[in-house]
Formats: sequence, structure tokens, C-alpha cells
Amino acid sequence: MLDDINFSVSPGEFVIITGRSGAGKTTLGRLLIHDLSPTKGKIVIDGEDLSKIKPNNISLIRRKVGFVFQDYKIIPDKTVGENIAIALEIGGYNRKKIGEKIIRLLDMVGIPGKGDLFPGQLSGGEVQRAAIARAIACEPAILFADEPTGNLDKDTSIEIFKLLQKINDDGTTVILATHDVTLIGLNPDRNIHLEKGKIISDVDGLPAGKEGKPPIKTHFEKKHKTTSNSS
Amino acid sequence: MNTALKNIRRSPFQALSAVFIISLTLFVVGIFSLVTLASHAILLNFETKPQIIAYLKDGHTTDQVAGLISTMTTTQGVKNAIYISKQDALEIYKKSVGNDPVLLGTVTDWGIVTADILPASVEITASDPGVFNTIVSILEKSDIVSTTPQGKKEIDFPQDVISELTKWTNAIRGAGLVLIIALTVVCILTIMIIISMKISGRRTEISTLKLLGAQNLYIIKPYITESIIYGLSGALFGWIFSFIALLYSTPFLAPRLGGVISFPIPFWIYLFLLIGLLAFGLILSLTSSLFAAARFVKRSR
Repeated sequence: MLDDINFSVSPGEFVIITGRSGAGKTTLGRLLIHDLSPTKGKIVIDGEDLSKIKPNNISLIRRKVGFVFQDYKIIPDKTVGENIAIALEIGGYNRKKIGEKIIRLLDMVGIPGKGDLFPGQLSGGEVQRAAIARAIACEPAILFADEPTGNLDKDTSIEIFKLLQKINDDGTTVILATHDVTLIGLNPDRNIHLEKGKIISDVDGLPAGKEGKPPIKTHFEKKHKTTSNSS
Repeated sequence: MNTALKNIRRSPFQALSAVFIISLTLFVVGIFSLVTLASHAILLNFETKPQIIAYLKDGHTTDQVAGLISTMTTTQGVKNAIYISKQDALEIYKKSVGNDPVLLGTVTDWGIVTADILPASVEITASDPGVFNTIVSILEKSDIVSTTPQGKKEIDFPQDVISELTKWTNAIRGAGLVLIIALTVVCILTIMIIISMKISGRRTEISTLKLLGAQNLYIIKPYITESIIYGLSGALFGWIFSFIALLYSTPFLAPRLGGVISFPIPFWIYLFLLIGLLAFGLILSLTSSLFAAARFVKRSR
């Protein structure tokens, strides 16, 4: 459940959303891709109010927001390459370009030559990289990564974080939802901390109290409210 | 197409049952189409033949015949009435028996068949079998129509062969139509169930595709393609079965329907049948898969 939250993210920002399980991090992501609708308030992406969007255009919004799912949502009976190809097909790429693009994406996320392998043949970190490759395949303006390191060891988590930073450096706005304390200390940009669906702090750099930086934006206006069982 | 073929390979028995039911339906459609065509040809054959023949007494005058013809042609429901003279009757007889010397009387003691021994007649064709009785009653009152030794007028009235034939043809058509409708419904339901099961089985994958921004058309396309493959292959098998059935029944049918339908049946009829069955199979598969897909679209976000 999210309640009384109000914040905006500028293009090119790298924002970490932190909070315990059930704080509303996943709900926030699902609101962004219109998988859930707010009961009140509005969500605006690139000037488009999601509450007014026509059902036929929901898919267009989803193509603007790349999503790395907590449970990867990689299709198990398709190869890594096919999984990425699906996202590219949805994005309207032609077959010829798809092949080239897959090779580049696999190189970029650090799993070159693994396009013909099935997800079951990869390690957790490699599947996560494949999921990231799929999420950024259509060059979305925003990348929302929901607990991308939830099932990974510390070193792999840091590698994934660096990968997200690299994607951010290339101009993509990255929103990372995590409760992984390892990552919280690595973000130089902005951290939003949620608790029980409310924003507790919105700070530039590390969370308030950890490095002593003051919060730059915190809103408690009753803007939107939605419920979800996800964390 | 690749996804559709992969889906078929993954569940071959579902694919087999879909193709089988479509083949059966289209086989029945094919056979009934041919039966309808044949019955139409038979009806046409009967309709083009005179339906009532009234034999005339010898010694009738031209005026009397003209009077009878005029009465007939002005009777409602009469399509045509023609006078067949003794000479005409002989020509018809010769034409019907061919060169058979026995039937022509050239090798018997009776002597050669001549026009004298054949009666003149009036042949009447009706456009409506319902007027047969009216025509017969008019003819019975005519003085020039000959009478049998038993005192009955010599009128060849093939009872109501045509109306009987029409009744049977309609009954066969009706039964065929009911059977085709029933099989079509079963067919649509079977394909719908198979496609719905496939969609349900891949619900997780489909929800992922939706979250990735896929539109409904992109998601349902492989299932519709799969259904079309069922429809077209079912139509092809149905046509092959109809072709084989007709091929094997030709030795039985040819002598019975030889005068009405020419055997072997021309290939263009088979070709038209194939095109028709393919079109029907396509419509059938598209309808059922679209129904299944519409249910999915309605339920999904």
C-alpha cells in the first residue's frame, strides 16, 4: 500500500528506493508500468498522465519503462537471445536488427556469447544480467529495477549495481528498488526511503543519518493511494 | 509461425484432435456438397423430361389437338405442352433403343416397328408438381385421349416422382445441414478449448509479455496462426477423404447415375470443392481462435 507520496524524478537521475519488505517499493514500480492503477492522485511519465491513458496505449507506456523484475520473469523455455528478441519484436525492431542488437546487449551486460543458452543453464547473476539486457533492449527512457540483487551474493550484487550505473551513464533514468544495504551506500545521486507506504526521506546521496546529508525533497501530501501485496 | 509450430509440436495430441475434428466436419461438408450437386443434377434431369403424357386416339384432327394444347398451355402451372405425332414417336423410340435389332423388330415375326403401331401423344411439363392433378383431370375429360380396355384414360402420369424426389432431396439436404451445423459447433468448441488451454498454460509468459509492452495482437497471433494451421490442414485432409470416398464409390454410382451425371467427375469440381473447404476451414479456425482470444483479452489487463 502506498499513501500520501509525492515525488518527481528528473531525466538521467539514478534513484534508489529503499525500504523493508512491504514498504511499497514493488507497488511503486507496478504503478509506473500501469500494472496497478492508483485509487487516487496521478502518475505522470514524460508529460503523460497514466490515469488518463487509454487502455490501448498502456503497452506504449510499458515500452518507455524498462522493468527488471524481482523474480526475473525470464521465459524459461526460450533461450536468453529469444527472451531479448521478444522485447525487441515488441518494440518494433526488424529481424535483421534484432540479431545484431542481441549481440551488443549481451556484450554490454557482460554475458557475451550466451544468447543460445536457456535460463536454466545460467547462474543467478547471469540470469539477472539477461533480464537487464531484455529491460534495456528497446532503449527505454526509464529503467525500474525491482530488487535486482535480491537473490545474489555481495560481489555479484555490486557488479549488477555497476551495470545499472553504466546504463544510467548512457542517459537512462534508473530507479532501483532494493533493501540491499550493500547497494545503498554506493549511490551518489538520490535515495528515497519508504516505510509502510509513505516516504520517510528523500535525500541527495546517502540516506539521512548515515552520512548526515539533509533530505532535499519530502512530501506528505495526500496524492495517491494504492494497495498491493508486493513488497 | 515458428511459435505456432512449436506449440503444435509441444502438444501433438491436441493438434491431432483439432485436425481430426476439422477433417471430419469438412469431409461431411464435402460429401454433402457433392450429394447436393448430384441431387440438383438429378432433379434437373427429371424436370427437363415431360412429366405427363396423354396418348391420343387414332383419327384425331389437328384442330382437336390444337384445342387440347391450347387448353393445357393456358392452365396455370403448365410450363409446356407439345404434340408428338406417330412419326415423332417412332423417332423417339428409335433413339431410345439405338441399333438393337430385336427392339427395332427387324429380326422378329412382328415385322419392323413402324409409326402406325405407335400412338400420338401430348407431352406436358409442369412448373409446379401441385398442378399435376388439375392437368390429369382436364386430360381425362378430353375426347381425343385414348382409353384402355378397362375404361381408363391412357395417361402416363409418373405419380409425383418429382415431388417425391424433391422431398427426399430436401430431407437429405436438411439432415446434412443439421449434421454440418452440429459438427461445426463441435469443431468450434474443440478448437476454442484447445486454444484456451494453450493460452491458460502460458499465462505466466503472457503476463510477462504484457508487462514488456506487448499488444494483444502480438500475444494472440501465434495462437491464431496455430488455429489456421489446424483449419487448413483439416480442410486438406477432409478434401482428400472426400476425393477417395468418391473415387471408390464411382464404380457403384456410374452405372446408376450414368445418364444424369458424367463420370469420372471433372477435376474442376474437385478443385472448387478444395477451395470451398479451405475457405470453410479458414473461417472455422479463425472464428474459434478469435472467440478464445477474445475471452483472454477480456480477462487480461
